[in-house]
Amino acid sequence: MPVAGPRRVRWGVLAVFLTPALILLTAFVIAPILGTVAISFECKHGFCLKNYVDVITQQSPDLALIYPPGFGGPPPWGALIHNIVWILIHVPLTTMLGLIIAYLLKDTLGGSFIKSIIFIGMVIPMVVGGLIIRFMFDKYVGIVPKIFQFLGVKSLAITWTSYPQTALIALILGSVWLWTGFSMTIYAAALETIPRDYIEAAKVDGASERQIFFKIILPLLKPATLVVVLMTILWDLKIFDIVFVATLGGPGGASTVMALVMYMYFARELDFAKAAAVAVLLALLTLIPGVYMARRAVKG
Amino acid sequence: MADVRLENVVKRFGKVVAVDHVNLHVKDGEFFILLGPSGCGKTTTLRIIAGLEYPDEGRVYIGGKDVTDLEPMDRDVAMVFQNYALYPHMTVYENIAFPLKIRRKKLGLTKEEIDERVHEVAKMLHIEELLDRKPGQLSGGQQQRVALARALVRRPKVWLMDEPLSNLDALLRVVMRAELKKLQKQLGITTIYVTHDQAEAMSMADRIAVMNKGRIMQVGTPHEVYYKPAHVFVATFIGNPPANILECRVTQDGDKIILECPGHREEIRDPELADAVRRAGVREIYLGMRPEHIKILKHPEPGTFKGKVYVVEPLGSEQIVDVTIDGTVVKVKAPPTLSLQPGETVYLKPEDWKKVMVFDKKTGKALKGATP
Ligand SMILES: Nc1ncnc2c1ncn2[C@@H]1O[C@H](COP(=O)(O)OP(=O)(O)O)[C@@H](O)[C@H]1O
Ligand SMILES: [Mg+2]
Repeated sequence: MPVAGPRRVRWGVLAVFLTPALILLTAFVIAPILGTVAISFECKHGFCLKNYVDVITQQSPDLALIYPPGFGGPPPWGALIHNIVWILIHVPLTTMLGLIIAYLLKDTLGGSFIKSIIFIGMVIPMVVGGLIIRFMFDKYVGIVPKIFQFLGVKSLAITWTSYPQTALIALILGSVWLWTGFSMTIYAAALETIPRDYIEAAKVDGASERQIFFKIILPLLKPATLVVVLMTILWDLKIFDIVFVATLGGPGGASTVMALVMYMYFARELDFAKAAAVAVLLALLTLIPGVYMARRAVKG
Repeated sequence: MADVRLENVVKRFGKVVAVDHVNLHVKDGEFFILLGPSGCGKTTTLRIIAGLEYPDEGRVYIGGKDVTDLEPMDRDVAMVFQNYALYPHMTVYENIAFPLKIRRKKLGLTKEEIDERVHEVAKMLHIEELLDRKPGQLSGGQQQRVALARALVRRPKVWLMDEPLSNLDALLRVVMRAELKKLQKQLGITTIYVTHDQAEAMSMADRIAVMNKGRIMQVGTPHEVYYKPAHVFVATFIGNPPANILECRVTQDGDKIILECPGHREEIRDPELADAVRRAGVREIYLGMRPEHIKILKHPEPGTFKGKVYVVEPLGSEQIVDVTIDGTVVKVKAPPTLSLQPGETVYLKPEDWKKVMVFDKKTGKALKGATP
C-alpha cells in the first residue's frame, strides 16, 4: 500500500468505530441536554417562555439572578451578578498570583516543593475546599479574622461567611487560594518552554529584568494566559460546591450563584422547569468562553 | 571600538573544566575566531565575554576596563546566537529595534532616529522587504541576517558570534562568509567569532585561537596555524584533510640522526629538522605531513615510505588517496591523472622535508614547523 496520495474515506471502518461512540454520546450527552432544554420551555399548556421570564425576574433574594434592590448596598445582588463579580475579582487575582509564583519559584531552590504545596489546592475535592474556606474565615479558628484582629480591624475580625457584607468576598478569596495552583501550574509549564536564549539575548541587548519580563516573557506566555483566563472564567461560572458547603448561598442569598440557584429550584422548590431554565441560561453563558477556546484550539 | 582581553580565565561546571586558564588578547577591530571541536569550551568562553557566565577565576577586560563583574547590559557587546534567538512575537522591525528601544532614554534617541537606524542596517543587510514579517516566516538565511542586524544596530564595542553560519546550507554558508567578513572590515567592529569549522576559520579570520579541552592551543594568523602549528592537535585539526601524523623514533648514531618511521628508516638529512630534533633531545616524535605535500610514487626511491592504497576519493580537480603504512592511514592529495587501484603498493615521498612538521610525542609541542 502506498502511503502517499489522498486517503480514501472507508465508510465501513468509520461506521464500526463511530457507532458505539455515537450511541453513547446520544444516550448520555445529547439526549439529556435536549431533554433539559425541552423541560425549560415546558408550561401547563405546551411550550412557552414563562419559565425564563420567571427566573430572570424572580425577586426573592436567595433565588434572584438579578436583584436590583440590593444594588448600592452590600449583597445580595442576585446570583448572576455574584458570578460576574466573582469573575471580575477572581480571574485577575488568580492569573497574576499564579504567574508571579511560577516566575519567582522558577529555578529557585525548593521551588518545586512550594509549588506542590500550592498545587494541593487543586487536588483536594472542592467540597473539602469549601469546608476549609469556612474554617479559614471563622472568627474563632480562622486565620483571616485572626489577622484582622491582630491588626485591630474589629469589623473584619468576624466569621466572614455569616455576614452579607463579607460572605461573597470570603468565598471569592477562598477560591483564589484553591485555584491559584492551576494557574501556577500552567504558567510553570509554559515558562519551562521559553528558550533560555531569548532571555539571554535580551540581556545582552541591554534589557533590564523588568523589561525582560514585560517585553519578552509575558508576550511569550500569551497562550498560557489565554488558557488560564478562560478556564478560570468557566470555573467561576460553574462554581457550586464551595458555595454549597461554605454558606449555602447565605446569609439571605448574599453569596448565592447561578448553579446554586438552579439547585435550589430543583431540590427545594421542586420546580424542575425553572431549574432547567436556569441550567440552560448557565450553559449559554459558559458557551461564550467555551466556544472561543474551542475555536482557538481548532485554529491552533 | 575596543580590544578584549581575557586573563587566566577558568570556568568549571561541576567536574568539567570548560575553560581552562585562557589568556587572550583580541585587538581593536580584529576579526578573531575561536576554533575547536565541539565541547572544547568555545561557547562558554564567548558567554564569559558577554557576561552571561561568570568565570570561576580570572578577569575579563573590554576596552581596557575590567568588566568581569558587570552585567551583560553594561558591557556594550552584541551577540549573535547559534540559533539566532529572534523574539518570535515581534516583527523583524521590532526585533532589530529592540536593543535601541529598551534604552532609548539612555542612548538619547528619538523614535525617528531609531526608525532611521533600523532602516539603515536593514538596507545594509538586504532585509528591508522583510521588516513586517515575523521570524517564523523567514528562511534560515534571512533569520541570520536579522540576527546580525539586531546585533549591529546598536553599534556595539564588540560583536560576538556563536557559530552563526552553522544552520545554513553549504552554498549560502560560503556566500555569507565573504559577506560577513566584508561587513566586519567595513564597520571595523572588534569581532569574536566561534566556529568548529576550520575552513570557515581559515577563510574569515584575522587571527585564530585554536582550542581543545578548554585550553588555547595556539593563537595565530590562518597562515601561522596552518604552517607552524604549535601543537600536534592544531596540525590534526586544521586543513582539509588535516595533516597526517606518523609516529617515529629518532636514534643518534654518532653525528648522524636516524629516523625510524613505519615503512621507513633513514638518516635525517634536512639540517633544520636534524637540528630541531637534536636540540629537543627527544626519542619519540610525531612527523606531520600535509596531504598536499606528499607525492605518490609507483616505484621505490631512497627516502620513501612504503604503503598500500586503501581508498581513492575522486574530487574532480584532485583526488584524495588513503594509503596505509603499517596500519597508519595517510591521506594524500594527488592529481586526478594518477590512476591507482586499492591494494596497490605505492611509495610516499615528502615533497620537501622543509614542509614536514615535527612534534614531541610526549608533550605534543611543535619542534619544528613547515616552511611554506
Ligand atoms: N551550563 C552548563 N552546565 C554544565 N556543563 C556545561 C554547561 N555549559 C557547557 N558545559 C560543558 O562545558 C564544556 C564546554 O562546552 P561549550 O563551551 O558549550 O563547548 P563548545 O561551544 O566548544 O562546543 C562541555 O563539556 C559542556 O558539556
Ligand atoms: Mg558551542
